[in-house]
Amino acid sequence: MPRGQKSKLRAREKRRQAQIETQRSKSQRSRRAPPTTNTSAGVSCTRSDEGAKNQDEERPSTSQASASTDDPHRTPLDQKAILLVEFLLRKYNMRDPITKQDMMRQVIKKHKAHFHVILKKASELMVLAFGIDVKEVDPIRHRYVLVSKLQRTSDDRLRGEKIMPKTGLLMTILCVIFMKANCAAEEDIWEVLNVMGIYADKKHYIYGDANKLITEDFVQERYLEYRQVPNSDPPRYAFLWGPRAHAETSKMKVLEFLAKLHDTVPSAFPAWYEEALRDEEERARARFASLLRIGTTANVPSGVNLGSLSQL
Amino acid sequence: MWNKDRPVPSYMQGSTRRVGIMTDVHRRFLQLLMTHGVLEEWDVKRLQKHCYKVHDCNATVEKLEDFINNINSVLESLYIEIKKGVTEDDGRPIYALVNLATTSVSKMASDFAENELDLFRKALELIIDSETGFASSTNILNLVDQLKGKKMRKKEAEQVLQKFVQHKWLVEKEGEFTLHCRAILEMEQYIRETHPDAVKVCDLCHGLLIQGQSCETCGIKMHLPCVAKYFQSNSEPRCPHCNDYWPHEIPEVFDPEKEREAGISKSNKKPLRSRQH
Repeated sequence: MPRGQKSKLRAREKRRQAQIETQRSKSQRSRRAPPTTNTSAGVSCTRSDEGAKNQDEERPSTSQASASTDDPHRTPLDQKAILLVEFLLRKYNMRDPITKQDMMRQVIKKHKAHFHVILKKASELMVLAFGIDVKEVDPIRHRYVLVSKLQRTSDDRLRGEKIMPKTGLLMTILCVIFMKANCAAEEDIWEVLNVMGIYADKKHYIYGDANKLITEDFVQERYLEYRQVPNSDPPRYAFLWGPRAHAETSKMKVLEFLAKLHDTVPSAFPAWYEEALRDEEERARARFASLLRIGTTANVPSGVNLGSLSQL
Repeated sequence: MWNKDRPVPSYMQGSTRRVGIMTDVHRRFLQLLMTHGVLEEWDVKRLQKHCYKVHDCNATVEKLEDFINNINSVLESLYIEIKKGVTEDDGRPIYALVNLATTSVSKMASDFAENELDLFRKALELIIDSETGFASSTNILNLVDQLKGKKMRKKEAEQVLQKFVQHKWLVEKEGEFTLHCRAILEMEQYIRETHPDAVKVCDLCHGLLIQGQSCETCGIKMHLPCVAKYFQSNSEPRCPHCNDYWPHEIPEVFDPEKEREAGISKSNKKPLRSRQH
């Protein structure tokens, strides 16, 4: 007699279970055992010798592939998100922003159409596991930075290489001021910031109240000067470099920043380059003069740059 | 809003189905560990205490091993873990965040160009094949013509080697290169699979061996810290395999207390005989 539906279903279910079991046990063996941190011989924890043998240099390991059959919740997009997390973690210490292009080329590959979903999943994983936000700082050229959600403390023993988003904004403003003959109208500044998605009347998710930041905070910290344009009615305002900006950075450094953003060199902007060179000469002369006054080089710290701007 | 003490969602749970709780203490710990790349155990303990202090002053600081196992149970589904190892030359316990999913050189792929990756592979081969675990700068640079990808000049290759040192993949000593302890932690699996015949293994712990001592009679090799522990206070050290007299100087077992008291900095410390074989 032919087998009834129920019997066929039961058999199919049994087969599927058996398949999952063998795959699960296979993946258990191919996945490395969690490391034991107790030191029996006081040496490095070794993974079991039966590690996955068939790993190809270019492709992700088979333990990952078998884990996907292990866990029915994990879709190919989930797997891509996990790979993207690895990619982002490697970029965590780097100063350069991460570009969408890099992510596409190195991680997303053939899943290009699903970039946003994959990025969203990866971002959520980054927040949950590491407390790190993936922020788009340049919506036009699609550049992202990694920002810790946790408050920085002075004891964090971080090396000075961490990306400081506020510093990037400040450098941009100093740049605009320099390009506008060292005095930029408030409208000019906002024109540039608006292009970056930063508005005076909207709270920005990195910079918060941007208007307060640039007209009050940076001014208080003496990085910027915010002055009323003389004889302006209704009153208009302009920005200039503050004394701290002059002390901690230079026109040449700001020009280098600009050049880097445009993938070029400072000398590509001849007029500004000239001015920056003259500024450098002035500074060198001033340093030399102060050296003579003091008398010995031992008293003068080399490179007077202090503060956050010196890290750029 | 982001709830910082939220238990981890099911798709992130490991196969053991334990619910790992990640708090800001653990997240800060991970961020700082990543920033440093690789840390010695003493620094890791300090880091852990610091993270507790910042977020949760009153909680008792969990034992480091449990703390790390908890984190690893959560990260398991991302194929990431905090791995503990020991430096080959002087037996210091070290920790690094390693990714198990991709096989090695692809870990470096996002930071290096094709020809640079190939240079690393060539250096790695020389290191593995060498008697001492070190490959000379000259020998590595002589291989630049064989690299895949864009042509690289020797001058350029020298800088790439320095880049590897900066990124903690290689270590340089007197013009010779060996693997950084972090590289061994991350790449052990990859190295064993891609060089199954050439790779050396410690007779005691069975871990990958780059530097170590070998028995002159039967040829077995052991890590310096393994030798130190095995022959501790043994006046007549003998090979565990062939029982012949062990001809090399027995290094001291690493003692973190002694080191801190003496205030010896790593850079001042004389490296143990790392070239014995």
